[in-house]
Amino acid sequence: MNGRIVAGIIAVASVLGIAFAALGGSENDAVVGENQGVTIQDDASSPSSTPEEASAGDALAESVLAGPAPENFGAAGTLVDLDGWLQTEATSLEDFDGQVKILQFWTFSCFNCKATIPTLQGLYATYGPAGLEIIGVHSPEFDYEKDLALVQQAADDLGVTWPIAIDNQKLNFRSWQGSRRFWPRTYVIDANGDIRFDHIGEGAYEELEATVAYLLANGGA
Amino acid sequence: MIDLLLEGLESALLPCSLILLIPGIAVALAARQESTPALVGFVGAAWVFSWLRFSATVDGFERPIVAMAFAASAALLLVPLLRRLDVLALLGGALGGAAAAALWQPCVGENFGTLLGELPDQAPAGVGLLAIYLLGVLAPVIALGAVMHLIPNPLMLPVRPVMMAIGGGVLGLLALTTAVGLDDNLVSKLVSLSVN
Repeated sequence: MNGRIVAGIIAVASVLGIAFAALGGSENDAVVGENQGVTIQDDASSPSSTPEEASAGDALAESVLAGPAPENFGAAGTLVDLDGWLQTEATSLEDFDGQVKILQFWTFSCFNCKATIPTLQGLYATYGPAGLEIIGVHSPEFDYEKDLALVQQAADDLGVTWPIAIDNQKLNFRSWQGSRRFWPRTYVIDANGDIRFDHIGEGAYEELEATVAYLLANGGA
Repeated sequence: MIDLLLEGLESALLPCSLILLIPGIAVALAARQESTPALVGFVGAAWVFSWLRFSATVDGFERPIVAMAFAASAALLLVPLLRRLDVLALLGGALGGAAAAALWQPCVGENFGTLLGELPDQAPAGVGLLAIYLLGVLAPVIALGAVMHLIPNPLMLPVRPVMMAIGGGVLGLLALTTAVGLDDNLVSKLVSLSVN
């Protein structure tokens, strides 16, 4: 019995120790995330950004322009059997043909999806005037997330101003991602309809911005 | 590696992880004094089957098979004649872990995202890192197992039937809802209740 108690105490203490460490780590992670978002937004709101086109031009760093072209992952799919769109007059993905697009699968109660929004907002402010479009494909994990009024409310609360495609049956979530399906998943699609960036989860923000900047500076492809 | 563990712990608090945590807690409750081998089986199988899916080694699992795995897990943990055998508790837990991993669609942070992106090409290293992440996600289940291990058997005796009923009932409900494609709704109801 003594050995049993000691083993139990060790196990509980280990879990508590990890939990305390996690609390500290989470705070640090949050600070890093905020800083990343602010950095991009600062660029967008800097004095030189007053004319929108100039702002976009300023953001296209020379190193990006001179760098290698982003990898081409092949043709992107389309969005089928959607349950509608929010915040746009568009009715299909094809309405955005010829544009550089960030397409992200997300859902409004997903913590990690929400963590990417400040970065997307910064990119939209900086590169939107140069032709970038963002399309959020809302693929709900839970039933209550299928309510369009709640999606719109969440978009308003979170500051999501770009078009939202409603994928309540998750048909597109499955067809785009295959057996490896995650929230969030972020793609960049070039003007020719090819996928040039594919990232699972949070992060890779610098690579995302470099891809967008490269494509916009090179005629969309 | 520590970042990955911490991110897993953070994910344990998110609704996306409920489909892993609920079966894990059910296995621990249903297994009672055999909770240690049952949870070793659960965590181990969750790890292996998550890796199989996320490394694209397998393309997914059919719902009827997942439902049968939940049902078999409940049966192995609850059938009175078999329940005293650690190896059957291990197998029961493993079936529960495999079924849970088959249904899991995680919300992904930065470090786990990087791992997932590289997993198909870096299987040997990735399988170890996935284990670290899963230890974080499943920390509540491991903690429950530790607490159950710590409490002396005589104290557990009066509540065992209740624990068995809850654990077995949840596994049975998961089997039923998965078979008819309503497992999302079950978890959704739980999340909705907790949010409200």
